[in-house]
Amino acid sequence: MQIEAHETDDVLLRRSAKGDEEAFTQLYRRHQAPLYRFALRMSGNAWAAEEIVQDVFMTLIREPGKFDPARGTVGALLYGIARNRVLKHLERAPRELSQEEMGDDGYGKQARVFEAMTPAHWAEIRERRDRVRAAVLELPVEFREAVVLCGLEEMSYEEAAHLLDCPVGTIRSRLHRGRALLLAKLEMLRDAPRRAGASR
Amino acid sequence: MTCEEFEMAGLDLGVAGAGSPLQVAAREHLRQCPHCAALHESWQTLQEDLQVVGAETQDASTPSRVEMRLRQEFRTKHKTLKRRRVAIAAAWALAAAAVVVGAMSWVNWRQDRNGSVVAHRTNGTTPATSTSSGQGVDRAALAGPELGETLQASNDAGEFTLLPGSMPGALDDATVVRVRLQREALSSLGLTVNEERAADWIQVELLVGDDGQPQAVRLPQSTTD
Repeated sequence: MQIEAHETDDVLLRRSAKGDEEAFTQLYRRHQAPLYRFALRMSGNAWAAEEIVQDVFMTLIREPGKFDPARGTVGALLYGIARNRVLKHLERAPRELSQEEMGDDGYGKQARVFEAMTPAHWAEIRERRDRVRAAVLELPVEFREAVVLCGLEEMSYEEAAHLLDCPVGTIRSRLHRGRALLLAKLEMLRDAPRRAGASR
Repeated sequence: MTCEEFEMAGLDLGVAGAGSPLQVAAREHLRQCPHCAALHESWQTLQEDLQVVGAETQDASTPSRVEMRLRQEFRTKHKTLKRRRVAIAAAWALAAAAVVVGAMSWVNWRQDRNGSVVAHRTNGTTPATSTSSGQGVDRAALAGPELGETLQASNDAGEFTLLPGSMPGALDDATVVRVRLQREALSSLGLTVNEERAADWIQVELLVGDDGQPQAVRLPQSTTD
């Protein structure tokens, strides 16, 4: 059966529930990348992110009836499931940072961007990047979510609030505190009084 | 703008337009307050760092093996569902067929049983029952032509020939019995028999009274030649 590119997620999910594999595949292709990035940035582990995305869509295969159009979009449902899986993963492995694994399909692709730089400059940038990434992964989960969605994924407050099912003010406040924590962790304030840290 | 207001507005500064009152006030405050200027610089640096980290994974997507695994799972799940539905439909079809076969067997058994010995109770000129069941005659009438003949015979007492010595009044509560015998045996009932065909086997219906003695006889059409 032919599937139109503009077919809504709801329609695709309905068709998928009836056994239409093409509809399921299109739904997967539409959502897998943002979900994967979210899981990767939250967990810092490419393998975990892969497992999480797989789990999310397995849930969709097994329980398509979980989706209730009255409660939100398919995308929000998928993010919700992914978020639960991420939290479970973080509970199991709270400080798991397997950065060596990230080279293949997670982090590391950006290395090509720095090819034109001197080795010293490149090393400095890489070190800084690693510190930022580690600092993000050390944030408490609720602040990390806000930083990942608004800071890394560059979503608007409204989009993030919709996905996390919370008010926009909460997102703004979490982002503010998350950023303050990041600054404190990265010791970027140097001479400036640590007002951001004090605001915690 | 105070330092606290600047800190509170910090996140929205990037979102606000370049010429917005918030931006103008913030810029003015930054010129006057070195602490907030340093803080703002830190924010900008952090923002750049976050963008670099974000850009690292900007194009990241799930490996293709996940899609393959999911599609396989999808196929398996829906094939299993389909198989289960077919199995359920087949089970119902088999059950229905078994019921039909059982019903047909029962009807055939009933017909065979009624075919070998059809007993029928009569009530005056309106016979209504058989020996096996009070409703047997009605059922037989609906069942098929074989029993229909029996019904016709039992309903039409006028076709019976009274045997010598029998009284019409004695036919109350008589029973119809179908028997197979040689034609010569009819002579023992007082009937005349064609000697040439005396050895033929024929089917005869006898009207048997309460005393067990035959009162009347009838030869079905097929055997009266």
